[in-house]
Amino acid sequence: MSVRVAVVQLPGVNCEAETVQALECAGLRAELFRWTQPARDLSAFDAYVLPGGFSYQDRVRAGALAAKDPLLDVLAERAEAGAPVLGICNGAQVLVEAGLVPGGGQVELALARNRMPARVGYYTRWVWCRVEESPCVFTRLLEPGTLLPLPVAHGEGRFTSAKRGRLAALVEAGQAPLRYATPAGAPAEEFPDNPNGAEAAVAGLCNARGNVLALMPHPERALTLGQLSRGIGSEWGRRRDAALAAADASAFGEGPGLALFHGLVRHLEVA
Amino acid sequence: MSGGSPRLQAFVELRAEDAEAESALEVARTRLEAGKRLRALRRVRLFELTGSLPARGQAEELMHRSTRFYNPAKERCTVRDAASGAAPFRPEEALVLVVDRGAERRPAAERWWKHETGEKVEVREGQVWALTFEPGADATAEAASLASVADRAHGLLSNPHFQDWRPGSGASPPWAWFEPAKRTPARRRA
Repeated sequence: MSVRVAVVQLPGVNCEAETVQALECAGLRAELFRWTQPARDLSAFDAYVLPGGFSYQDRVRAGALAAKDPLLDVLAERAEAGAPVLGICNGAQVLVEAGLVPGGGQVELALARNRMPARVGYYTRWVWCRVEESPCVFTRLLEPGTLLPLPVAHGEGRFTSAKRGRLAALVEAGQAPLRYATPAGAPAEEFPDNPNGAEAAVAGLCNARGNVLALMPHPERALTLGQLSRGIGSEWGRRRDAALAAADASAFGEGPGLALFHGLVRHLEVA
Repeated sequence: MSGGSPRLQAFVELRAEDAEAESALEVARTRLEAGKRLRALRRVRLFELTGSLPARGQAEELMHRSTRFYNPAKERCTVRDAASGAAPFRPEEALVLVVDRGAERRPAAERWWKHETGEKVEVREGQVWALTFEPGADATAEAASLASVADRAHGLLSNPHFQDWRPGSGASPPWAWFEPAKRTPARRRA
């Protein structure tokens, strides 16, 4: 495809290489766009990904300083014009702090510190995410109810709002395309299936139009079957075991995270 | 080991330049209307201890040797046991205390204190931002504008969806900063 996707590298981001690789695996032309480049040049791209990491060293709080970066003004304009924007982990924190998710420019939510029983701080594990009915461009190829195993790795990933019921309302409105789930597929309210105490088990939240997604799990770390954790069961686990047992290139078969990038490809083809 | 004031405040500052405060100052000045007249910004961690506490000197010694409060190799700590005690703020500074709502308590520090002294105390922690504005600025109002984020152009220091902020003045830093404001009893109707 001739479309260009910018992987926006703010200082402190550390997942840009995997993110470029994920986009290229999906058949897209991905380019790193560094914070030192003129902000206006960002307008030339067709889609955007804010990768994970610790932009501005999480100073003040995760995503707070990056949200004020001039690059975010351009991203907001492009998002308003319908360009797809995906924020992964720290990228999600930036989008929430910038008011691009759930949309409208006001900061309506927070990605607060994890709330976990008898532990605090950073937490990483593989979780199940259930696809929900949503206009989100990144999950458009996935049937509602599909379960994806994806890794999370964060200290501040708890979607919350001071307005009681706001997250539940966003779920109801179809703006939560991915929710933490139990292995059986029910929304996960309890740790560790819900790894951070997110309200309404929200793992990813999009704007009403569906072109901007703030996603806490890392799909770019689940590109191949061989990357799947040994702890993952069900059909994905069986596929992983078969791929590894084959002792050939099967381990590089498509993993669950790639589906979101394929969704972006399809959206850009149609658009 | 009791016998001191029922409350202590410990203010912890970095000995070196604070890169986090520098970044916040730069962003506030260049990106936010309310930050244009901000001249300096400092960050101080505040611990408030309540309960059966020792005299100030003993409390200072305990905090100095614990790893639960600060690192003496890179931070300095000022302890006061009364509202009139010294705090590391300048009179012209406007103060903004930011706390994570419902997560102010420090159970590990409380357990350590109990282990060392046998006394049960409550330890709360927050972050105080000390803001100095240009002369003539309404420091209280401008600090309030910067205290809570509303959108990309307004607010910075806290996110109201999981944090609270409380104002103060360097001229008289609040004592009992973590206590909820007392409500004035309603007057009885005659």
